[in-house]
Amino acid sequence: MGAGGFGPKILFKITTPFFSAGEQVIIPVTETVVNTWIIMAVLILFAVMATRNLKKVPKGAQIVTEALVDGINGLTKQTMGEDKVGFAPYVGTLLLFVGISNIAGLFNVRPPTADVNTTMGLALMTFAMIHGFGIKSKGLGSYLKGFLEPMPFLLPLNIMGELATPISLSFRLFGNIVGGVIVMNLLYGALYSLSGAVFGLVGISAVVPVFQVIAAPLHVYFDLFAGLLQSFIFAMLTMVFVSIAMD
Amino acid sequence: MESTNFIMMFLDWLMSFDRKALILAASAIGAGLAMIAGIGPGIGQGFAAGKGAEAVARNPKGSKQSTMVMLLGAAVAETSGILALVVALILLFGNPLVNLEGSAIIIAFSALGAGFSMIAGIGPGIGQGYAAGKGTEAVGKRPKLQSAIVRTMFLGQAVAQTTGIYALIISLALMFANPLIGML
Repeated sequence: MGAGGFGPKILFKITTPFFSAGEQVIIPVTETVVNTWIIMAVLILFAVMATRNLKKVPKGAQIVTEALVDGINGLTKQTMGEDKVGFAPYVGTLLLFVGISNIAGLFNVRPPTADVNTTMGLALMTFAMIHGFGIKSKGLGSYLKGFLEPMPFLLPLNIMGELATPISLSFRLFGNIVGGVIVMNLLYGALYSLSGAVFGLVGISAVVPVFQVIAAPLHVYFDLFAGLLQSFIFAMLTMVFVSIAMD
Repeated sequence: MESTNFIMMFLDWLMSFDRKALILAASAIGAGLAMIAGIGPGIGQGFAAGKGAEAVARNPKGSKQSTMVMLLGAAVAETSGILALVVALILLFGNPLVNLEGSAIIIAFSALGAGFSMIAGIGPGIGQGYAAGKGTEAVGKRPKLQSAIVRTMFLGQAVAQTTGIYALIISLALMFANPLIGML
């Protein structure tokens, strides 16, 4: 979908010294990859700075950090059970990365989750966790027998149902975020034209796109509300599917 | 060649258009057809919202949990509408069919078929919304059981989503991995 007008732009190309079928291998690096690096840098910086100089009696920023960690641990314990609190670091990373990616539109950064490659990668990680931990906790025999429940001839349907999980996870997140990106782009374009038309009526030739401030409340819906809700949904569904596969 | 058969006349008229125009016209109809899937989540989320209001009125002390479960269930019920939007956006902004080699009428009708397929999203939209509503009602009655109720609700909604996913797969296959062109 990169050929369309709303796909991620290619920012630069890396020329590798390898050759394949007579042509030099060139790796195009898109906005998605660069924006992922930016978000990674922001999160790593936050993590390093928030965990420096920890004191027994928390002050200032440490209170926020402790509230965040307690919140994530509590959510994991409540959703998956007390014994599975070990998943909390992965769940917290997922929540923070996907949450910040989804609201990146507010900062004029194209959300990496607006690329189906990112969301499919995250969904495949969830898929691997579901089946990996399912086999580990139930044993291979019992796990395979689970596919024959409740009736053996439902095996193809069970397999299709399992494959539907990563597809629905990735496309739900991708669709929500890219829908928001496209609507906001179209809206900004329309408001620019509107500003131009109104200014033209008054007789001013230079266009100051004042009407674009109307887009602000829609940012609250598409970027903040839908973005954070979808990141929470992704994390909740990951937790619920993994814990169901493990018992 | 003149024909008195109405269908043959219609098909002859279609083939009189330029190849790309035919494919793009069919994509336009397909994009519109796909969005009919919005009926489902509309009904389903409305039911969830109604049950949410009822749950908060019955048990104001559990309103935080009820509202949270209503939002979670409604967001999952939204999925069918979003999948239909993705297909419509692909047809409008990233059309993979317009530069495809092959019989123009097959490609055009594949675009139509891709749009038709997503109408299946109505079902999961209504069904998952119903699950969300009943989950909200249950959490309103017994807020302490929120996590167990949410787990079962998500599991049920995931199973209900499968036919919507089948429709998406057929739609994507028609657009990106069209098997019909090669069969001619």
